[in-house]
Amino acid sequence: MNTQDLIEKLGLKPLSKFEPREINGVFISDMISDVMAGAKSGNLWLTVQTHKSIVPAANLVDAAAVVITSGKEVPIETVELASKYNIAILSTSLPTYELVGMLYALKPISR
Amino acid sequence: MPECQHQWEMTNVRFGYVVFEKCFHCNSLETYFTTEANPILGDKYRDGDCFWSVVENAQSFQFDLRCTKCGHVEKFEDLMGFLHCTGCLDDCQVDIMRRQLEAKKTWILVAFGFLKKKGKHTVPSYKLDILTDYFNQRRDTKRSKIKILSFDLITDLSNCRGDFIHDVGMLSTEPIAERKPIF
Ligand SMILES: [Zn+2]
Ligand SMILES: [Zn+2]
Repeated sequence: MNTQDLIEKLGLKPLSKFEPREINGVFISDMISDVMAGAKSGNLWLTVQTHKSIVPAANLVDAAAVVITSGKEVPIETVELASKYNIAILSTSLPTYELVGMLYALKPISR
Repeated sequence: MPECQHQWEMTNVRFGYVVFEKCFHCNSLETYFTTEANPILGDKYRDGDCFWSVVENAQSFQFDLRCTKCGHVEKFEDLMGFLHCTGCLDDCQVDIMRRQLEAKKTWILVAFGFLKKKGKHTVPSYKLDILTDYFNQRRDTKRSKIKILSFDLITDLSNCRGDFIHDVGMLSTEPIAERKPIF
């Protein structure tokens, strides 16, 4: 499944400019150190963290996209930086728990 | 025997804190990593002429890299963390390289060693190359690449307004130009 399919299936709102990418798993954390240590290339990263430092972190681990849950407002500087690096920042009003439930039902995203 | 073309994986991950201590006597700054419980801000102690006080701590982690082919382990105890260059100083060597490399879809990050009263400890360049290899081996490099640079290249560290990729100050939305330098 790629970013575009996911956006359509889950009604996510794309905020940054990006090229669609294949998604191979999900990583959930609001801690950057956790993401840098554990997220895998091609992972979808779910967080409520919106500081622009999420962009270089997502870039370093080659995350497929970042989903900001719970309707948290994303600062424009985060969106602009993500667009520069071609990183998809997607937003949803759903809490993380509900989004995870929907993702889980949408296999083949594993893990 | 031909040399191994190392294939790196992260191993021995330790979560902890990077602690920033400042001496209010000589103004020195020191940093170190600890896996101990949350260091207390404002915690003070005396060491010779120095009065050290914990001014900041950031949740962070340390790791080593291990080659999955030959088992060689490279330790990274000397790596404090990574800085995202915000292009704050036009004549900074890092920013010059950033602009050159970004044109080739290569994104840079600046690796920091720990700061000590007697100067900064840099991470040796062969280790920065290993980090570069590691981050590229685990990504789709047809899209973009990563290059890890040394903080030695920052022309004016005392005026650098780069962003540490650390779990601290995440609520700050101050524009870069109005922000205090990091050191
Ligand atoms: Zn090897
Ligand atoms: Zn001192």
